[in-house]
Amino acid sequence: MKSLFAFMKKEILEQIRTGKIILLGLLFVLFGIMNPAIAKLTPWILESVADTMESSGMVITSVTITAMDSWTQFFKNIPIGLIAFVLIESSILTKEYSSGTLILSLTKGLERFKVVVTKATVLTVLWTICYWMCFGITYGYTAYFWDNSIAQNLIFSIVCWWVFGVMVVALMVVFSTLAKSNTGVLCGTGGVVFASYMLGMLPKCSKYMPSYLTDGNSLIYGLTDAEKYMPSLIIAAGLSVICLVISIPIFNKRHL
Amino acid sequence: MDMLRIDDLHRRFGEKEVLKGLNLSVPENSIFGFIGRNGAGKTTTMKTVLGLLRPDRGEITVAGEKVEFGQTATNRFIGYLPDVPEFYSFMNPQEYLYFCGEITGMDKKEIRSRTDELLELVGLQYEKHRVKGFSRGMKQRLGIAQALLNRPKLLICDEPTSALDPMGRKEILDILMQVREQTTVLFSTHILSDVERICTDIALLNDGKVAVQGKLSDIKTMYRSDEFLLETETEADLVAIQNAFPFVEKIGRTQLTFRERKHTQFDVLNFVTNHRIRLSKLDRVEPSLEDLFMEVVDK
Repeated sequence: MKSLFAFMKKEILEQIRTGKIILLGLLFVLFGIMNPAIAKLTPWILESVADTMESSGMVITSVTITAMDSWTQFFKNIPIGLIAFVLIESSILTKEYSSGTLILSLTKGLERFKVVVTKATVLTVLWTICYWMCFGITYGYTAYFWDNSIAQNLIFSIVCWWVFGVMVVALMVVFSTLAKSNTGVLCGTGGVVFASYMLGMLPKCSKYMPSYLTDGNSLIYGLTDAEKYMPSLIIAAGLSVICLVISIPIFNKRHL
Repeated sequence: MDMLRIDDLHRRFGEKEVLKGLNLSVPENSIFGFIGRNGAGKTTTMKTVLGLLRPDRGEITVAGEKVEFGQTATNRFIGYLPDVPEFYSFMNPQEYLYFCGEITGMDKKEIRSRTDELLELVGLQYEKHRVKGFSRGMKQRLGIAQALLNRPKLLICDEPTSALDPMGRKEILDILMQVREQTTVLFSTHILSDVERICTDIALLNDGKVAVQGKLSDIKTMYRSDEFLLETETEADLVAIQNAFPFVEKIGRTQLTFRERKHTQFDVLNFVTNHRIRLSKLDRVEPSLEDLFMEVVDK
């Protein structure tokens, strides 16, 4: 247990001293502020381009902004946040292979599963903090300017997206135990997510695909029932658990 | 007792068979030089001992306990210094040793005292900068400190001096000499002068097998040549000897060598006495490790 904490402490110190925490923090705070800000600025932006649009035949009448616009922005921006998160953290394990830093820890008697557990925990916690912080900021500003209560299933839609992110983290972990470099991690993780989106286009499969969880807009506008999200929610959660569990024996067998 | 024993170790990488039945035994409290050309399989052997590579065949024991691949419990007996040690560059030496102590499960008090002791041994006690800007020599020294932290019974160093300048090499060799009382040292190298300087035992690795192994002094005696070197005071004396014994070989103005056949040395000495030739030197030529290495490798 002591060695697990020591390795975790090292991991957190690394995240701080290499500036990754600050970078992620700034990024997600920025997204959190941007979502309501863009919604708030929409009338002003439209007004400023009204003349040009009028000359091309479009007439802008009055624009009413509600909390829904802010949450639409949230679901539009959060994928970019997740992509940035994956890019920044993709080398969390592979960097230790290429530099050889892990060899010294393992030959000191650190058990291999603790490495995987630590990396998975740190990534999940980081994603959770970044994501909910972004949500919190958007929620606060949106509540201040408009009324959050008009969005249906808000918390459920937010949880769905968070679970999708956790699944992406689990994919990162499992591909980190398989791949030699972070390119492999990015390709593997990206590949699975891409495949999920592709299969999601087939009407029969769509509601079973984890990518279905990213359609938060349909939930908050009340276009789909929350129950319809359950299969994909269960599949995403199950896939996350499977990824994390199998990454331990894979890592145990890895030659370093 | 043997601190490390390797029996019939085989390992191939794809088509290439790197280890072809390697046998090795490292006696306790020795400084064991593991010598071989680049690519001979030294690092592969060491990584297998550390459980980082799975052998195709063969058995390894450390301090009497069998080495398992993956979850390697025998590593608690071992301190390891890789050829190019890499540390977490965002830590300073002290932080790194603390981290190592904690993952090994040492208690706080011991970590503190051992860290101070070892940083002093390797001359990094005043170094407060992060590892990021360290030179190779500094990294190598910190590497030795981390390897010795939990008082290992066996210290394994993979070419610890290869990448260093003469000054850095001397420092590392001095440290290895100093720790001999505390631990058994196994170090791989292709720098033979380092071996002659500090090793008590050696093994020559060639073509995936150990070609020669034993105490350095024994091996030198075993391979002692029958060659003598004789030095006279004047060149005229040397010419006189050369005329009397045509088989001698002149190698300098006043130096010649000859090989012992049927009492050649007594005949030569008789001649020297009878002709009152003054000698400055008569020496039996010691084989250098290099000659030995060449002989083994060329076989």
